[in-house]
Amino acid sequence: MGYKPKLVCFSCKFGWAYLRDMNALGEDAEFLTPVECSGRLDALHLLKAFKEGADGVLILACEEGHCHFQEGNFRTLKMLYLLRDVLEAHGIEKARVRIEFSLDPEGRKILGRIARMKESLSALGPLNRALL
Amino acid sequence: MGEKPKVAICWLGACGGCDEAIVDLNEGLLDVAEAVSIEFWPVAMDYKYDHLAAFGKGEIAVGLVSGHVRNSEHAEVAHLLRDRCKLVIALGACACFGGTPALANLVSREEILDAVYVKAPSVVNPDGRLPQVETAWEEGTLRLPAFFDHVYSLNQVIEVDYYLPGCPPPSELIRNGVRAVLTDDLPPKGSTLAPRKALCETCPRNKTKPMRLEIHGPIRRIHEVEADPEMCFLAEGILCMGPATRSGCGETCIRSNTPCRGCFGPVPGVSDPGSRFISSLAALLKVGTTGDPEAVMASLGDPVGYLYRFTHPVSTLGARRLSQATEETP
Amino acid sequence: MWNTVSKGAAAVEQAVKQYLPPCQEQCPINEDIQRTNVLISLLPEDPGEATAGILQIGDYLYEKNPFFAVCGYVCGLCELECNYHSKGGAIKRRLLKRFISDTYIPYLEKREEWSLVKHKENVAIVGGGPAGLMAGYDLSRRGYRVTIFEASDRLGGALWLIPRYRLPERVLESTLENLVRMLGMDVKYNVRVGQGKWTLDKLRNEGFKAVFIAQGTPTPRILTFGRDKVEGQDLSGVMYGHTFLYEVSHGNIRPNYFRGKKILVIGGGNVAFDVARTARRLGGQTSILALECEYKTSRDGIPADVEEIRGAWEEGIRIIYSRGVQRIIGEGERMKGIECPKCLQVYDDHGFHPEFDLADTMVLDGDILIITVGQGPDWTALQSEGLVDAKGRLAVDPLTLQSRNKEWVFVGGDLRKIGFMVEAMRDGLAAAESIERHLQGRDMTEGRKRLFEVQDIPLRRHYLSEPEVVWIPPEKRMHFQLFERGFSLKEAIEEARRCLACGPCISCKACLSIGLRESLNPVEVLTDRCCGCGICVSACFYSAIQLKDVEMGRISITDSFKCKSCGMCVAACPSGARALRDDPLEGILQNTYDRLS
Repeated sequence: MGYKPKLVCFSCKFGWAYLRDMNALGEDAEFLTPVECSGRLDALHLLKAFKEGADGVLILACEEGHCHFQEGNFRTLKMLYLLRDVLEAHGIEKARVRIEFSLDPEGRKILGRIARMKESLSALGPLNRALL
Repeated sequence: MGEKPKVAICWLGACGGCDEAIVDLNEGLLDVAEAVSIEFWPVAMDYKYDHLAAFGKGEIAVGLVSGHVRNSEHAEVAHLLRDRCKLVIALGACACFGGTPALANLVSREEILDAVYVKAPSVVNPDGRLPQVETAWEEGTLRLPAFFDHVYSLNQVIEVDYYLPGCPPPSELIRNGVRAVLTDDLPPKGSTLAPRKALCETCPRNKTKPMRLEIHGPIRRIHEVEADPEMCFLAEGILCMGPATRSGCGETCIRSNTPCRGCFGPVPGVSDPGSRFISSLAALLKVGTTGDPEAVMASLGDPVGYLYRFTHPVSTLGARRLSQATEETP
Repeated sequence: MWNTVSKGAAAVEQAVKQYLPPCQEQCPINEDIQRTNVLISLLPEDPGEATAGILQIGDYLYEKNPFFAVCGYVCGLCELECNYHSKGGAIKRRLLKRFISDTYIPYLEKREEWSLVKHKENVAIVGGGPAGLMAGYDLSRRGYRVTIFEASDRLGGALWLIPRYRLPERVLESTLENLVRMLGMDVKYNVRVGQGKWTLDKLRNEGFKAVFIAQGTPTPRILTFGRDKVEGQDLSGVMYGHTFLYEVSHGNIRPNYFRGKKILVIGGGNVAFDVARTARRLGGQTSILALECEYKTSRDGIPADVEEIRGAWEEGIRIIYSRGVQRIIGEGERMKGIECPKCLQVYDDHGFHPEFDLADTMVLDGDILIITVGQGPDWTALQSEGLVDAKGRLAVDPLTLQSRNKEWVFVGGDLRKIGFMVEAMRDGLAAAESIERHLQGRDMTEGRKRLFEVQDIPLRRHYLSEPEVVWIPPEKRMHFQLFERGFSLKEAIEEARRCLACGPCISCKACLSIGLRESLNPVEVLTDRCCGCGICVSACFYSAIQLKDVEMGRISITDSFKCKSCGMCVAACPSGARALRDDPLEGILQNTYDRLS
């Protein structure tokens, strides 16, 4: 198809790949951005990602009930419900932002999740830049 | 002899409320008339654009401009004002941020024209005629302004020196702003002539907040409940945009038992108050152990309309600058 | 695996006034509980890969507490105050420590001697129990030449009272042996100071510049009724619990020693239950008799731990509450039974003051009577050494542990005040500090009174229940092997994850120490933007934020001791009035944004 979706993946350091060297994940994780708690991400950070060129955003948060800072992951989930409504009103599909909750100390699941998200982004096509 | 400074007051995509706020100075208007010479005020006096154009560059000391920009007439007049006025003050929410009409940014020009001229229940237009920019007629060509596809705030069209927000700005604020200009007691260019902090700072209900403000379960909109006339709205679980909105309005709405809707726009340091408030609401709205977070967040009803009611053109997704290329007529 | 750093930026700070999680505040030596919990939660699940990390955690624990392996079997003081207590059950921290110790002990046995420069004075320690050994550990590290004078033929003191089914022999022996070996402490066995040849003055003459006396409480208390000694305690078949347990620990009692016999144990504390459960394991039909009642929450409640009582009951021991012993019934030279009046009240407002209903008396038959009602110090030695005051009480300063009569003598441990093993260890550390201050001529008390405030539980929606601790079924317990199953690696990680890390970052820094976070950036409130809306208060799970009325209006302030630099408040602030100073996040995000476009 030629179109390679640009996916920004935010992952929480306390739950994903803390036993692994993230830099070794390679090209497929090109825009992987580890953060200290998904709860630090606010709506503006995600909107900016779209504005700067992302076709989609994936947030890898910690398992429900296991956030190191108590409930940052849940806060992000609540924020995303509102953000998705805003995106949809602007013609940006809700499926372009996704959050997944799990525990992956070895970083075994990251590439798979990224690949899966990129697949669904491929089906949606590139983000219409005129909408921004 | 000291000439009185010249003032121009002009409305672009406006409802007239900001001009009304000036009129509401009442007797104070007489003081204003003594201090300045109002050279252009289409709403109140019979001046034409040619009159404005006849002035020299920068000859007018202050231009108070209300209304957003959404057609070519607005854009042209905005540029004209910028040239002829030494200082341009964006007056009111529409000029400062785009205002309520900017919610139209969520639909396309085609959909709007279609709705107004073809689909409206009281319209009979079987041929689907739409207004045209140019229409040839026996006597000549009739011209109408081109209808843009997007609503712009004033600073996305011309450079703006100062901002007086509000829908409308309170008369006092306008008077103080103009006085500041005339006495040259101005903050740096680009400033807003209103307090710097958000509404909660001056809100009479702020002290009624509990130690830990929390909203459990769904949030209510003001029409869904009977609000206590003295309690903080958020503390009662009623949606209020106060924390994300600049103060200076005198809390007129609050005192009428209506929560803030955000017409004074963002505080300094924030450009997109609607998106900022998304994260605030996510923190504030608590979902119990058996609650459904999706349902709780959905209780906002119309998050886009609410969060960006006055500020869509300055929001992250809505912001763009007016350029000739994007707004060529079809 | 990790670069565990216990110094430098990741070092826990010694503030005089400090917030601590309740577990650490409760621990007499303020062990870094939270830190080790968090580190355990971040271990890999593969046991092979986890070993390095476990040993690192063990090393870290050992530094502050060389007895930690023993603690993992016998001490759970921290759990009593755990914030999770009322929300699903305290974190099973003792078992987490036991988990570490099980891997650590073989490694400890092979650890090399520490290279210490012992350039300072000679210090004598009288008593090789936990207090004395802890003082010796601390003093050796500070550079003193330590000699331990131990009255018996082995170190460990009262730790040998603990039965094997609670504390494996290897754990205790390895802890004791390797401590003196690695730290190069000189031990003289079978030397009783305060009697005969060895006096304090002799120690002085031998060149010891200071002495720490921690001889413990070797003398069992005799049974009394009212003010009178109960007659018959010298009959055959009557013994004292402490003597009994020491004999068992020496291996002098053969299995099934009590088969066919009726054993009566008197006492209501943990030691009495140790005695009863040991007697039961030796085949005896065992009953335990306590003055106290069964309602643990009342003033007269039985002092033994709930787990001991449960264990005893499961093992078929008959527990008799609210009874005293007025008379020991003998037949010739042998004990035959006891007369037990009902005890109506144990304590009154002034203290220990039992009252009995003599009309309600029961008689219990028995072959063996084991009296376990406490123990006391060797007063004659203390008196002859001049360490008591005019009223015959030990004259020692409770903060510095310095004797009021001889400034070069320090007293601590059970001898000073009966308590738990870790409380004795605390005395050992206090004595070491005092000895150094004394020998250096410094002020004895400055900066030593530490005040701690305790952090509340962080707020969240879901709290998880404690895991079930598995005990061998009682019928299979009649031996001296451990009956409690410890955690597997997976279980340990899971339980450690349950820990909420209530305490402030400055007393933990686990994430910093393994490089998971690079820095703890303090929160700043931009007071010219904060409008006092209170949304940040709601966003903070650690209740670290408050609204305050100041001159410029109402603003929010963050208690920097409670703040975790998690950034939740920064994201939630509608005015953008909060930020983390030098926040690395902005740079990280900008990097991604730049690469996108």
